[in-house]
Amino acid sequence: MTDKRVILVDGVCGYWGRRVAERLLMQDDVHVIGLDAEPPEEEIKDLDFIQADIRNPLLVELFREEQVDTICHLAFKESVRVSETTFDLNVMGTMKVFGAAAEAGVRKVIYMSSTAVYGAEPGNSAFLREEHPLNGKNGYGYVRDLVETEGFCSGFRGQAPDVILTVLRFAHIIGPKCDTPMTRFLREETAPLLMGFDPMMQVIHEDDVVAAIVHAVNRDAPGTFNIAADGPLPLMKIVGLAGKVPIPVLHPLAYFAVSLIGPSIAPLDLNYLRYPVVGDVRRMREELAFTPQYTAEEALREFAAQSRLRQYLPEESALAFDEQRLRDTIERRKRARELARQQAGPLAAPRRRARRTKEVVSPLDDLMFEPDMSADVPVMETPGDDAGENGHG
Amino acid sequence: MAEPKKASRRKTRAKSTAARRNGKSKVEAALNNLEAQPAGTATPIGEAATPRRRRSRKLPAGLETVAIDMAGDGSIDRSTADGASTPEAPPPADVPLEALHQQFITEVNELIARLRQIQPAYNPPPFAPEGLTGVLGQAANIVPPEVQATLFDKARKFISEDMFDADTWRGLWYMVSSSVSMQTSVIQRRLTGEYETDEWGFDREYMEAVRPFFEFLYKTYWRVSLSGVENVPEEGRALLVANHSGQLPFDGSMLGMGILLEHPAQRLVRTLYATWFPTLPFISDLFVKLGQALATEDNGARLLEQDQLVAVFPEGYKGVGKLYKDRYKLARFGRGGFVKMALRSRAPIIPVSIVGAEETYISLAKSDFMAKLTGMPYFPISPTFPWLGLLGFVPLPTKWYIDIGEPIPTDQFPARSEQNLMLVQQMTEQVRNIVQNMILQRLSQRRSIFFG
Repeated sequence: MTDKRVILVDGVCGYWGRRVAERLLMQDDVHVIGLDAEPPEEEIKDLDFIQADIRNPLLVELFREEQVDTICHLAFKESVRVSETTFDLNVMGTMKVFGAAAEAGVRKVIYMSSTAVYGAEPGNSAFLREEHPLNGKNGYGYVRDLVETEGFCSGFRGQAPDVILTVLRFAHIIGPKCDTPMTRFLREETAPLLMGFDPMMQVIHEDDVVAAIVHAVNRDAPGTFNIAADGPLPLMKIVGLAGKVPIPVLHPLAYFAVSLIGPSIAPLDLNYLRYPVVGDVRRMREELAFTPQYTAEEALREFAAQSRLRQYLPEESALAFDEQRLRDTIERRKRARELARQQAGPLAAPRRRARRTKEVVSPLDDLMFEPDMSADVPVMETPGDDAGENGHG
Repeated sequence: MAEPKKASRRKTRAKSTAARRNGKSKVEAALNNLEAQPAGTATPIGEAATPRRRRSRKLPAGLETVAIDMAGDGSIDRSTADGASTPEAPPPADVPLEALHQQFITEVNELIARLRQIQPAYNPPPFAPEGLTGVLGQAANIVPPEVQATLFDKARKFISEDMFDADTWRGLWYMVSSSVSMQTSVIQRRLTGEYETDEWGFDREYMEAVRPFFEFLYKTYWRVSLSGVENVPEEGRALLVANHSGQLPFDGSMLGMGILLEHPAQRLVRTLYATWFPTLPFISDLFVKLGQALATEDNGARLLEQDQLVAVFPEGYKGVGKLYKDRYKLARFGRGGFVKMALRSRAPIIPVSIVGAEETYISLAKSDFMAKLTGMPYFPISPTFPWLGLLGFVPLPTKWYIDIGEPIPTDQFPARSEQNLMLVQQMTEQVRNIVQNMILQRLSQRRSIFFG
């Protein structure tokens, strides 16, 4: 255990915490500690679970004793309304974890945020860079919490310059299993939209979210990054691809209804249906060197097929019958291999062959590819690849 | 006797419809029926019917003569009519219609009498001939005979050639059904999200759909004449800088349309628009789908880095909301953001002057109060707006000139010269002067606002 990096995932009982921990446990060079206020509903194999609240002042000692190298701070409670309890967990909890990390000499902290922090404003550029001011104050409660926390993060960089702080701002997350505002919006039969507005929007697949967090764990990249799938799409196209019936509503009426009843009647904050919030992902590609596997259209097609098939078949097996998804999957794996070849260069082939005997990886969960980690993640083999390599060997 | 008559009619239905198709009268069709009766009875009637048929055929001919007669050339026509018609019915010159009418009625009555000789049970149908001809005659008197004749002719042609042709209806059906199915498939495709946009939201299909409207404005309404299109590069980045005018930003669309239509590479112009437009429903949607972008320095620089053709109107609201008395006097060219953009991406600046757009709306004054009330950046008061409501938005059909000047290169400056404020100010002023001079030059040649 001493030679392994210790990675602490807090909020491990949440969806993202669980996925990230499971994914990290497949790497054999890390030791994963899970931290949450309650034990996970389903046992995570090999996870070193510690039950504690993230606001506990004893965390400093825990981090120091366990020699924690990296913290994935994923404890976050999503709530539409502005509430004191979630604020306490989301903002105060983050401050306490970060403070303890700085105190205990943790090397790296990773925080999961959202592009919603930019706020939907009429003056938004078509592609928002990470330096863009965070205007998402009037949105939902959780957006406010995120903005608040991000403000703290930029201060934290100055206060603790030794700690590598990576903030990942994800676009709207969609996927067959996760539960986010966007999936709730797209799972309904109809999609109320504002008449005459069709802003550009970005999405990202849930697998790519997990892959990006794991990528940030394995690669030191201080800074803030927008993470989104290729291709911003118009909202109408997103709704169309997800197979929803768009219902245009006059925007003054919609704003009036929200002011009367409250933000919970609208599936997404109305401004996000009106003005574009699209992150510039150049820094993600260049500095973080991360490439999402799913394009926006692939993610949406998969999502739509899954929600359609789920009416007839149990969740997991349903997707196996989706031909389009398989086609997309083949295409995606091909892209990943291409990228691997480009980045790894001529030395990649022998190294990959040597590993193949060592590790067995679940085929579906490991679609993601980390270019700089090519030594640790086996690339899926295809007959074509094998033939080529055997011929040379 | 009624039974065989009906049978014979059924037999000769084809013949009678053929007769109708040739535009012959009902009377003649009836006569044809009589002719086609069994041989035993046909001989006397055939003999009797032949001269009558000839006479009844004269009826339209008589009408024609009258029509030409009314036109003023009576003698020749009457003589030809006389030569052709039977001696017992020469149409008199004074009251030709009345006489013809009387003649027709007597003829038909004679015919009925003859029919009764053969067929005692025969009863003339109630609508013929006196009542019907009376009604027809009264109605016919309202319309001048020459018009009547041409109408009759046209109706005959139309009915006989097209309306009885099954292919006409088949063709119509194909046309309607194919256009409906095409449009529903397009709508269906768009509703299921199967269309392509680029990362800025530019949607080619959408542009092709709205293009005819802008083409109409460009070619027919404002008759834009574009010069200097060769100054726009075939490929690679360039920044078009133009004067802004005309209350509604039609000048941007016309500049874009001009380069799309007349440039050999049919380049798409990415116009940068003001911050007010994203708040407007439909307009914001339209601008994004047509490939335009909000005027921020980030957007401009990114577009130029992608080697696009970008157009800016640095005057902004100050230019577009100009009063009529200030027309063609350039306002301040912003804060020089466009020069910074060009210097940053080393794109050449191409000055453009647009003449004619200033007069599309005549803004006499601006109302700050109404602007505040409606949330508009400016509220023009013109002779038509806001008094005529939506009609006030109709622009005047002036003649437009768009002149594209020679590119000003920016690649001779060292890197990071966009931070050289002096250079930026200087270049801003330089471009402004060039555009102003181009406008004045064009104005000195223009004779009329509407005809150029």
